[in-house]
Amino acid sequence: MQGDIVAAAKLIGAGLAMIGALGGGIGIGLSAHGAVQGIARNPDAAGTVQTNMILGIAFAEAVAIYCLVVALLILFVF
Amino acid sequence: MNERKWRWGFNRWLVLLFIVLGFFAAKKYPPISPHVQLPAERLSHDPLFTLPGIGEFYLTNTLVALFLVDLILLAMAFAIRRQTSKGGLGMLKGVSGALEALFEGLYNMTESTAGKWAKEIFPYFATIMLIVLISNWMELIPGVDSIGFLEKVAEHGYAAQGPFLIKEEVAHGAEGFVVIPWVRVVSTDLNFTFALALISVVMTQVIGIRAQGMAYFTKFWNTSTLFSKPIFGAIDFGVGLLELISEFSKILSFAFRLFGNIFAGSVMLFVLGALVPVFVQSMVLLLEAFVGIIQALVFGMLTMTFMAQATQGHGGHDEAHA
Repeated sequence: MQGDIVAAAKLIGAGLAMIGALGGGIGIGLSAHGAVQGIARNPDAAGTVQTNMILGIAFAEAVAIYCLVVALLILFVF
Repeated sequence: MNERKWRWGFNRWLVLLFIVLGFFAAKKYPPISPHVQLPAERLSHDPLFTLPGIGEFYLTNTLVALFLVDLILLAMAFAIRRQTSKGGLGMLKGVSGALEALFEGLYNMTESTAGKWAKEIFPYFATIMLIVLISNWMELIPGVDSIGFLEKVAEHGYAAQGPFLIKEEVAHGAEGFVVIPWVRVVSTDLNFTFALALISVVMTQVIGIRAQGMAYFTKFWNTSTLFSKPIFGAIDFGVGLLELISEFSKILSFAFRLFGNIFAGSVMLFVLGALVPVFVQSMVLLLEAFVGIIQALVFGMLTMTFMAQATQGHGGHDEAHA
């Protein structure tokens, strides 16, 4: 065993930070689920549904991206 | 009769040739895992200029990329201008035609969301979308992020052989080299994404004030029902304060969304390129092209939606809080 404990803690911390991506993944899955169901019921509304779905996905994804930024900060800045 | 004849073609052999060449190149110069750094690398040792109170300005590699993006946008603008001034408003050909179709779609989208304010809002939407799209797609060009100066570092460096880095860790404590790329995708610089986010959010307030006058501020400081309906009035007042906070969190989420997506994408490209030098990276390039256009659309569309909401005033309480 060699190397220092701070480096190990950084790697573990970055990995733990990414657990938060779970929420974003669930959210994006739910919104796509709803959008696909909506399109299946009313295919004419596909364009509007898709636009709104992408907006919703962007909001859900933002949280996961915060986790990613925290992980990147831990890895490359501190 | 309709069976397709085998054609020898040309491009497929070119692709095969490049794959085979890639194998040999990866044997000769094994790819090294690159040096990842969050802030933009400086290309000059002396600052370009110094502003009192703010600090020193360096020529960074993301600034070079921003100039390239601007040049591409200007070239596109001039190409379209030449076509329209020559033949009037006839059929546009080539890139200009594609751009015309794109803009028509975007404008219709703006009009369906913003109504009569579409003319005011559309320029922000389209400008932000174009600049973000082109800067995102710059990461797909080979050589961006990988060609540059060699710089001496104290640790984690690699040995250099002529202009290349070779996969050979230098002895611990000795001096090694890392690549400081000349061009790095501008969306991987937090300064750029924060600047765009600030422009977007500040102009949202400006458009809101222009649409509603001083009544726009009742969204944040809502005392209209505070005395007539005590409990719900207090709740409305609290919601107004939350709106104020959400304006600030919009800046953060705009900036970090674009930055995080593109930075993570380029780190993924580095790492996959270092692990599997041949062929695999090409697949990820496709994914990154998709992520690039989605992020550009999302940045522009969120700006457009927020601006449209700011023009509408009260009544729309179902707005999203980013």
